[in-house]
Amino acid sequence: MSATIAFNLSHLQAMLLFALVISIAFGFLSRRKPVDRVKYIVWSLFLFLLIGVGIGWAMYPFSR
Amino acid sequence: MTDETAAPEAPPVDSKREVFALAIAVAGWIVPGLGHALLKMWGRAVACLLTVGLLVFFGAGMRGNIFTSGGNDAFDTLGYLADLGAGSFFFLAKSLETSGPDVSRADGDYGTRFLAAAGVLNLLAALHAYEAARGRKA
Repeated sequence: MSATIAFNLSHLQAMLLFALVISIAFGFLSRRKPVDRVKYIVWSLFLFLLIGVGIGWAMYPFSR
Repeated sequence: MTDETAAPEAPPVDSKREVFALAIAVAGWIVPGLGHALLKMWGRAVACLLTVGLLVFFGAGMRGNIFTSGGNDAFDTLGYLADLGAGSFFFLAKSLETSGPDVSRADGDYGTRFLAAAGVLNLLAALHAYEAARGRKA
């Protein structure tokens, strides 16, 4: 028996998921104390989303 | 008179420690998080296992492209190397993706990036475990 997994994520959902998972990995790898890790994860996630949305808007004039 | 321009003598390399660090790196590459687990860095081990696992799970579920060794160009080869970085999870992704890749949709394209990111992230984690085993960082 084989189970097939399938996801249909929107662009925003995919970006959020990617940013969250990578931020958590970076936070755990680069910081030792729990508080520092949380701060790093939140800051990294914020920058991922800010830059992602920013690049999206920067490309908007050329999208059509 | 001594030669003042001569470089200072390098400290002796502890070969046992180097071999141990290499073994840790290989273990961390084959099973994400195992390198840190062997060093008793439990939080990092679980984080590596879960994050690489999640990226592979979602990447395969979104029907991302899993590159093979018979690529046509340099990008295929780079993609294959990135995918291989996930170690045993590369084969897990292959077994999960029973329907094959579908990059005609944005989902499939994102899935390809997720799988490549999982591999590169695992390589980064293995390198971190290697450095930690050598005592350079913790």
